[in-house]
Amino acid sequence: MNPVVGIAALVGVSVATAVIGFYGLRISRTTGDFYVASRTVRPWWNASAIGGEYLSAASFLGVAGLVLLSGTDALWFPIGYTAGYLMLLLFVAAPLRRSGAYTLPDFTEVRLDSRAVRRVTSLVVVVVGWLYIVPQLHGAALTIRITTGLPSWVGSVAVVIVVCLTVVAGGMRSITFVQAFQYWLKLTALAVPIVFIALVLAGNGTPALAEANTNPTGLAPNGPYQNISLLVALLFGTLGLPHVLVRFYTNPDGQSARRTTLIVLGLLSVFYLFPTAYGLLGRMFAPGLAQGERSDALVLLLPGRLIGGPAGDMLSALVVAGAFAAFLSTTSGLVVSLAGVISQDVLGGSVRGFRLAALISATVPLGFAFMTDSLALAGSVGLVFAFTASTICPALLLGIWWRGLTDAGAIAGMVTGGVLCGGALVAGALSGPAASGAAMPQWLAQPAAWTVPAAFAVMVLVSRATKGRVPRTLTKVMTRLHTPERPLATERQGHSDR
Amino acid sequence: MTRVKVTAPRSEAKPVMDSRVAAEESDVGQVFVRSLIRSQLRLSLVVAAGFLLILLAFPLMLGLVPGLAEATIAGIPFGWLLLGAGIYPVIGLSAWLYIRSASRNEARYRDLAEDR
Repeated sequence: MNPVVGIAALVGVSVATAVIGFYGLRISRTTGDFYVASRTVRPWWNASAIGGEYLSAASFLGVAGLVLLSGTDALWFPIGYTAGYLMLLLFVAAPLRRSGAYTLPDFTEVRLDSRAVRRVTSLVVVVVGWLYIVPQLHGAALTIRITTGLPSWVGSVAVVIVVCLTVVAGGMRSITFVQAFQYWLKLTALAVPIVFIALVLAGNGTPALAEANTNPTGLAPNGPYQNISLLVALLFGTLGLPHVLVRFYTNPDGQSARRTTLIVLGLLSVFYLFPTAYGLLGRMFAPGLAQGERSDALVLLLPGRLIGGPAGDMLSALVVAGAFAAFLSTTSGLVVSLAGVISQDVLGGSVRGFRLAALISATVPLGFAFMTDSLALAGSVGLVFAFTASTICPALLLGIWWRGLTDAGAIAGMVTGGVLCGGALVAGALSGPAASGAAMPQWLAQPAAWTVPAAFAVMVLVSRATKGRVPRTLTKVMTRLHTPERPLATERQGHSDR
Repeated sequence: MTRVKVTAPRSEAKPVMDSRVAAEESDVGQVFVRSLIRSQLRLSLVVAAGFLLILLAFPLMLGLVPGLAEATIAGIPFGWLLLGAGIYPVIGLSAWLYIRSASRNEARYRDLAEDR
């Protein structure tokens, strides 16, 4: 691919991000603005921003790559990513907004009236955030290497620098605009090239090189355990993602938190049609791209491969821009939520502390990214979902719906889930450099199916054993979480919004 | 250049506090709150279970009906259409049904809590 194309796309997206970030700076003045945009972001803006933030390297590059490799088995990834939002809507969205907390540790502290729970939650949130940023940086490294021929580290470093600049300059308010823009950029960047490709293929009457249902690398199909465990991880993992949850505080009330989630579901459903289409066309017309570690680069390479010439270059530039939008938006969303947690817990909650915390949250995973090798993007993000599903998700679900949860139970459950799931992931990573599922036992490769129930069980049992520790504020907090705020005004506003 | 200062959120207005505080402090208020929580949880569980059943039915259908996964519509195998596109309307529909019912539960709670 022409290296100028990749560099131009990268620079274009970075400049656009910085400009929108700066525009947001002018209306961001108070500490509240910095953290959650003063909770006054409109549902459509907010939903676009959530979509922009959620659709990471795994969705933009990883899903298509995995579909290319393993066909319909890989379709469970986008299904799980989307259905996870349905679970979020059903069990978490409105109560979480009504809790009035800024961050996840705020929520567990308010609900369980305990500083210790807060500290454990903060620790888990920071681990999750860092684990999640690493694959984004790997994706950026891959993109830079494939499209420009520059050394891989340039991609990771560029993402970290742009993210630090935007977050430090504008905080959450400008991030909302940046991410809303990036959702639409990502959608366009996938949709326009694939429509072109489909038209060109149909116009030329190009014959398919392979059947859609044949795996190009002879990979064995997944068993039911793997698919079910993956779904458990994705459905429950979404509930616990810190950068997703922080977005719910920017809704004015519980009702609008629900409305926002409904719009997000629509946006995600539309988006995921396209990576699937890339994977399908890749299998049929360019199965050779599945060889080696290039399958994750399918989305980047397909326009050049199937169209070529200046038109192919233009479309490639668009796709590369979309990919960088994906790395930038997810990373900056994670950095904002991590910085919120770190600055409140360690640095005293000032705007200056937030900026320092943002720098820390972005540079530590950069170190991790340099030290580790990239796995398949969708797979490694899937493992982060397994981790949040085994730690934060049980605490959140039981905290919202079960009066019996105690601080001791929540801590015991989160620690159990974290140790089991983290242990499985580390054991999986150590059991061989080429271990991407094939050599590993399935229960280690996809641990969620047993670590999530284990975390729930420990949380319930320990809470039962420590009944005396149920907080005295319970009645007040549960009322706050579940009763609608502003009885009539909400309805009126709901109508005038439309 | 005009600078616009965004002030603190106004979402927690006075009347809210009153009705919520009343619900927290009285026994009758708590009865209503508990029944609201129960009905919301029941609703969420029913919608989640229904969705998961449909989700499970899709691959079962593809596995059990011979030839279905391979049948093509406009050149695309049916299995791909079902899992790659067909599932999303189900997700959207579940979400929409849930929001309607959840708002209705809240409206009912509001009527009870205010008529007292």
